[in-house]
Amino acid sequence: MDTPEVATELFVLLSAILFIMGAMGVLLRRNAILIFMSVELMLNAANLALAAFARQWGNGDGHLVVFFVMTVAAAEVAVGLALIVAIFRTKKNINIDELHMFKD
Amino acid sequence: MELTLFVIIGTIAVVAAAMMLISENAVHSALFLILNFACIAFFFLMLHAPFLAMVQITVYAGAIMVLFLFVIMLLGAERLMPEQHPRFPWLSPLALVLSLAFLIVTSVVIIRGDIDLTDPQATAPHFRVVNALDDVAEIDLYLDDTRIVRSLEFKESTDFEQREPGRYRATVYPAGADPQADDPLVEQEVDLASNQAVSLVAIGSGNEIHLVTASEAEAGLEGDDVLRLTVINALPDRSLIDVADISHNTRMSLIENVPYAESSESVEIAEDVEAIGVFPDGDTRNRLASLENAELEADTSLLLIFADRRRPDNSYTNVVIDLRTNTSASFGSPTHVGQILFNRYVLPFEMVALVLLAAMIGALVLTHEEVTQRRIVKRRLANPSGALERPITGETGK
Repeated sequence: MDTPEVATELFVLLSAILFIMGAMGVLLRRNAILIFMSVELMLNAANLALAAFARQWGNGDGHLVVFFVMTVAAAEVAVGLALIVAIFRTKKNINIDELHMFKD
Repeated sequence: MELTLFVIIGTIAVVAAAMMLISENAVHSALFLILNFACIAFFFLMLHAPFLAMVQITVYAGAIMVLFLFVIMLLGAERLMPEQHPRFPWLSPLALVLSLAFLIVTSVVIIRGDIDLTDPQATAPHFRVVNALDDVAEIDLYLDDTRIVRSLEFKESTDFEQREPGRYRATVYPAGADPQADDPLVEQEVDLASNQAVSLVAIGSGNEIHLVTASEAEAGLEGDDVLRLTVINALPDRSLIDVADISHNTRMSLIENVPYAESSESVEIAEDVEAIGVFPDGDTRNRLASLENAELEADTSLLLIFADRRRPDNSYTNVVIDLRTNTSASFGSPTHVGQILFNRYVLPFEMVALVLLAAMIGALVLTHEEVTQRRIVKRRLANPSGALERPITGETGK
């Protein structure tokens, strides 16, 4: 197997950067839809690392895990957006700081 | 070249992610996220995962982001309310500090850490079964006690399958025989080593049946862009044979002195070989068999088995069994992913299907509850006391 021109470490580093940006989005933004999009970004960063290691080891299992992550992400988006729509109907707002159902 | 592309696309991906985080308009955020997903699809292509790249574009950048945009526009939530008096003012600086610390730690671990990436793990051996037995119409083959193939016809071969590396006991039976009761046609130990593509070829006739193994190093991720030839001598006169390129009225020796029931080494041959002939050892004129109009291509591994076939009038004719395998990079291709999916990941696949089903029902339940509640509220508003109905119907009876 030839050594690839772009090292696996670089892909993993990029994936770590993207993952952290996603995490920052989850922590900093207050819009529920944006938080969901940040979660998608984190999942994608993890997928990138998985694909990089799959190439490193020449093992197709990593690709399958990426495939499953994508499927689960699709399911998560369907449920999450349904939740957001349901919350928006009652509260007329999707700012998660305003949503405290148990407090008052 | 590849590194430059990586840096450029990586910068675009990071900038798109940053713009997604800071843009005030949720629609702009979604569009930047699509750009980021497209960059990641490009990285999948660089990582020899074309199937994932296509799925990334269609499922992620297509279906999921369309859903996001649809919900944003449906709710009219594209303009965010200005974030006045946040409830947790300490959260933003804390999150920044934490993520920066996390980034530094992961970077140090990745760059300076002692991750051993130098020794790529070996891939499990592939093997296939070929029937070149003249007398027996169809064969079954068992590795240890599991049946690998049933009713394999003459000249047919199975697809390559993966096995754990190790030593196996291969037994060949006539089709439909019971391995507990019947005697095998041939029994032999075979070694399946990592990174090898092994062909198990049953040859011979009558009482002398052999199982010949032809193994070949598997091409790596890139494919090696050459044409390889391996031959197996199964001709009934049991003498050494020479194999030669006989196209263009010339005779160029390709492989020499292949003993009976053995496979040759794998050799590289030129693409423009049109005909391959097999001769008795040292003889250049009496051609035993030949493969004409070969139409060979690069990135192919060619296995030729020279065997014989009984004619209806009991005379024998020599035949060439020609098996070609494409050795170009198949890692990450839809076929490769599909094979893994249907071999080892059927159960996880079923479970993911269940998760999707649960998500469908969940989405239905989450949005449906609202509607039934509203109906009850309407009825109550139209008829607040609920006691009005009965007296009226009572009245109409009079």
